[in-house]
Amino acid sequence: MRHFRTLLAHELRTALLSGNTWASAALFLALMGGIHFFALLECSRAPQPWTPVEATFRLFWLPLLCVLPLLTMRSFAEERRSGTLSALLTTPASTAAIVWAKFLAAWLTWAAFWCAFLVFPWIVNARLGTAGDQRLSDPATLFGGLCFVLVSGLLHVALGILCSCLTRSAALAALLTFICLLGLTAVGGAMDSLPIESWSWLGWLREPAAHLRTFGHLQDFAGGILDSRPLVLYVTGMMLSLGLAVLAVEGQE
Amino acid sequence: MSDVAPQPEAAVAAERLTKRYGSLTAIEDLTFSVAPGEVVGFLGPNGAGKSTTMRILSGTMAGTSGCASIWGVSVALKPAEAKRHMAYMPENNPLPEDLRVEEYLRLRARLKDVEAGKVDARVNQVMEDCDLVRRASGRLIGQLSKGFRQRVGIADALLAQPKVVILDEPTIGLDPHQILGIRDLIRSLRGQMAVLISSHILHEVEQVCDKVVIINRGRLVAQGRTDDLRRELLPHAGFTVVTKASQAELAALCTAAEPAATVEVGVATDLGWTRYRVVLPAQSPVRETLAATLLSAGLPLREIAEERYGLEDIFLAATRRTPAEGRRS
Repeated sequence: MRHFRTLLAHELRTALLSGNTWASAALFLALMGGIHFFALLECSRAPQPWTPVEATFRLFWLPLLCVLPLLTMRSFAEERRSGTLSALLTTPASTAAIVWAKFLAAWLTWAAFWCAFLVFPWIVNARLGTAGDQRLSDPATLFGGLCFVLVSGLLHVALGILCSCLTRSAALAALLTFICLLGLTAVGGAMDSLPIESWSWLGWLREPAAHLRTFGHLQDFAGGILDSRPLVLYVTGMMLSLGLAVLAVEGQE
Repeated sequence: MSDVAPQPEAAVAAERLTKRYGSLTAIEDLTFSVAPGEVVGFLGPNGAGKSTTMRILSGTMAGTSGCASIWGVSVALKPAEAKRHMAYMPENNPLPEDLRVEEYLRLRARLKDVEAGKVDARVNQVMEDCDLVRRASGRLIGQLSKGFRQRVGIADALLAQPKVVILDEPTIGLDPHQILGIRDLIRSLRGQMAVLISSHILHEVEQVCDKVVIINRGRLVAQGRTDDLRRELLPHAGFTVVTKASQAELAALCTAAEPAATVEVGVATDLGWTRYRVVLPAQSPVRETLAATLLSAGLPLREIAEERYGLEDIFLAATRRTPAEGRRS
């Protein structure tokens, strides 16, 4: 545990001082700022069935695909390329402690990005909002959306860490992460939009599909529904990915 | 570091260590040991399997079969405990470029279980020992010269006062001044910790090490003290003799004293003097009386000197040997 704390503090410090983190943060905020701006613009033109914050969160997959791979790509790939991972493994710190420290540091950075995004609705509400009207920054929607991206982020960040363990090239790690996240989001989206209920020959798929409805999970969280099934899905997915990451590091070294 | 555990016979022990990569055998049946406090040179030509062996001993790579132990603890079965007794500096000494030397050493001290209250004292001590305090402690590692990077690697290895230090080519790429510094540092460790050091600079190894282990093509070909290996691997003693006598005259005098003596064809030098090489068995008593024998026979003699066989000659003789010969010895 002492090693984990030491490694986590080191990883957080490294993330804070890394130009890569700040560039990723800038890209994330530019992307989210743009999305939120266009959502506000749409709402100002005509009444919409959704609030600007809801619309922004529904496009969570854009920063997920564009920014998260940049955040996790260097975690192991760069250390393996430079050989510093081998040096780290000569200490009594366990591989699991190293993997968990890198994961948690990346997840906290991802969480910090999303928390920074909350400044946009707050500014909009402060400048344009009227007392009693919460449509511009509904706290419940904000809190629910944030909970969704943080909980689903457990799996997404763990996948990024796993991909980074598989190669010495940070660029290849980013590409692998992008492909995995794209697949996961596309499957989740497809489960939401395909009329599986009406296809009798796909009856066996109904139950698993209900678990994989990514956008449905977002709606549930934003609507204040706390369902344990997505929690179990994301947490077990995270555990599986990190377990595989530990095996990958031990196997390759 | 646990001081209550009894001192084992061997600080480092490799027993029938084998590593295979598919059909390629990197090391096979490697058995050797390093006693506590001993400085041992680990030698072999490029690709002999030195780094592979060191990586297995350090716990960063698993062997295919055999047993490696550090301070009596199996590296495969109890890696964390074995690593507490050991420090390893890999060949290219990878270091994080974006950390300052002091920060890096503090991080490593905490990861190596140095007591929280002693981290500062240990970091200061190793920086002092490795001459890093004045010129490097506050600098980014990425800005350091090769010599200082090597010193940082060695300082890291000494941080937790391990029982065993494994150094893979610690003097590679250093200038003569830096090599002298590292050599003195390693010498100062003798008796305090077991040191296993691989190097291509045989002169360095000979000056620093108590014992050498020589491997070739992944197999042990010789191990022991250099004097013992010299006797075992180089059974002849060579003399350079510069005289005006002919080869036949010299050979007659030498074989009269030692029937097994041979005289190799000479090289004319100047004014009728010729340089010959006389070879005697290493154990022959004539080694000590050859000069007197030649002088008493009235031979015109300008120079006589016994050739000194260094570790380089031992290394060349050992690496020409077959592994079976090495095992028999």
